[in-house]
Amino acid sequence: MLLQAFAISPLLMVGIGAMLLMMAEAFSKVRGGLALGAAAVCFAGVACAAGVWMYGVETIPGIDAFSPWLRVDRFSLFFDALLCLGAGLSCLMAGGYLPEHNLDRGEFYSLLLLSTFGAMILSAAGDVLTLFLGLETMSLGVYCLAAFRRASARSSEGALKYFLLGSFAAALLLYGFALLYGVTGHTDLQGIGDAMAKGNIRNPMAIMGLVLILVGLAFKVSAVPFHMWTPDAYEGAPTPATNFMAVAVKGAAFAMMLRVLLTAFGDPRSASWASGWPPALAWIAVITMTVANLVAGRQESVKRMLAYSSVAHAGYILVGMVATMHSATQASAGVLFYLLTYTVSTAGAFGALILCGRRGAEAVTYEDLAGIGRRHPAAALPFAFFLLSLAGVPPTAGFFGKWFVFRSAMEGGFYWLTIIAFINSVIGAYYYLRVLVFMYMREPAAGAPVATPMRSGYVTAALILSAVLVIALGLTPTKSLSVVFQAAAIFGG
Amino acid sequence: MFATYGPMFLMMLVAITLASLFFIGASTLGKKKPTPEKMMPFECGSDSSGGRHLKLSVKFYLTAILFVVFDIEAVFIYPWAIHFKTLGWVGFFSMTGFLVTIVVGLLYCWKKGALEWEK
Repeated sequence: MLLQAFAISPLLMVGIGAMLLMMAEAFSKVRGGLALGAAAVCFAGVACAAGVWMYGVETIPGIDAFSPWLRVDRFSLFFDALLCLGAGLSCLMAGGYLPEHNLDRGEFYSLLLLSTFGAMILSAAGDVLTLFLGLETMSLGVYCLAAFRRASARSSEGALKYFLLGSFAAALLLYGFALLYGVTGHTDLQGIGDAMAKGNIRNPMAIMGLVLILVGLAFKVSAVPFHMWTPDAYEGAPTPATNFMAVAVKGAAFAMMLRVLLTAFGDPRSASWASGWPPALAWIAVITMTVANLVAGRQESVKRMLAYSSVAHAGYILVGMVATMHSATQASAGVLFYLLTYTVSTAGAFGALILCGRRGAEAVTYEDLAGIGRRHPAAALPFAFFLLSLAGVPPTAGFFGKWFVFRSAMEGGFYWLTIIAFINSVIGAYYYLRVLVFMYMREPAAGAPVATPMRSGYVTAALILSAVLVIALGLTPTKSLSVVFQAAAIFGG
Repeated sequence: MFATYGPMFLMMLVAITLASLFFIGASTLGKKKPTPEKMMPFECGSDSSGGRHLKLSVKFYLTAILFVVFDIEAVFIYPWAIHFKTLGWVGFFSMTGFLVTIVVGLLYCWKKGALEWEK
């Protein structure tokens, strides 16, 4: 009993921590420590996940007590740590950003933590019912976070779009699950998978269910053509919330995608080019990468550019998802590693964007950043570094993320897909480098508003942590690769 | 399938036909004599005043949400109470956790002033 509680300690930590923080915020007059408290809860969650990982989650007796509703395995532990890391970095950024921009209301942290809790449930769900519960817990919190700037029309617009399209996607997903339940009589993913393997793959209702589920999943990972909400929601939300959406929500959505596709539709016929989901996913990946990269290059707002860049990264990850049809373990390990590198690079980029602005002069457009490299090198340098990692320049983490995903696609024989992905990452480098050009080689036009960097220990701490991780993952990927391979081993084969 | 759902579809057909007949009948057969007074915005007999885009504080929705939360709580407690003996300590602690979560939510709402009508 106690060991079982230990096994789900990351979940308990974040859930109970969120409630305690809620109480502290309601009953205490002190405002300052909330960000630190929330970040501490998140990093404690990372520590708990690491502790259970090292203890050996398979050796805990009665670990199956939660299954099939909650699968506590190395895959879910990896995502517990990844999501808590992303949430912790967002909390640290919020500690600097919210007071600076006069948004300092304590609900932010409890909403963020409860949302993280939902994301962790989502990554561990082995049954479509818990999966849906986790999805809604995560999404409801994020809708509120996106609408956090109540007075701003843009924020409300983005949040409303996100809410409507998100609910729509959730409904499609639920419809798909309902059809699958009708065909197979199971709500647990393993049961659905077994029933599908027994020859339900040609059943039109099952195919309809799969298509609806794919659409719902594509909405959640914001793949083109289901990405319409992304730029508006990302731009309207306060930047730490944007970071949370780009990092944790996307990570949890990919965890859900991996588990659903590889468990419920993992049989050789569903996961084949001739009669399954891989071709649909491959084309979504191609459209996502191409459209997102082309549109990102035309943006005037850096925040919007980063939103499109996160759509493009979803496309690269989808390339890895397609490759899971040949080697489930190796390709999904590539996806997990990509998510890890994407998390730290994106968090760093958003953190640096926060650092470049202050009250009334938030850095939003390229013009705002003109010449900041000369005036404030300490703020521009981390921004440049994380953008290079997002672009995939060696020896940063981003390079190895792309390398492993593309390699698993090559080994699966998807040469054309890899070539398209490679061309796209070259196009992607254009708009990342454009920021560098503005920061280091342009001067602001006379009288134009310029961004002045803020000072904040919280944001600096988040940046240092991300920078250390980006460098460590870039220079010594071996250790983390063995971790992602162990996490992906649950898919076997 | 049709034998099972046939009467339902028939019922739907009858309902739609009847409703559209009423609408079409009212718009084609009815007499229309529009006057300026009739076309004005209507507000309980008096002239309407003020802008349309007001920010209203909707007091009752928080109370309504709290009511729904505790209603659902009762829905979960009844079956739990019936199987109390067979569920054992696991059941007891599960329900305790559930109740604590809800009480924390209530305390939060209370402290934030959601229960105060006059504010």
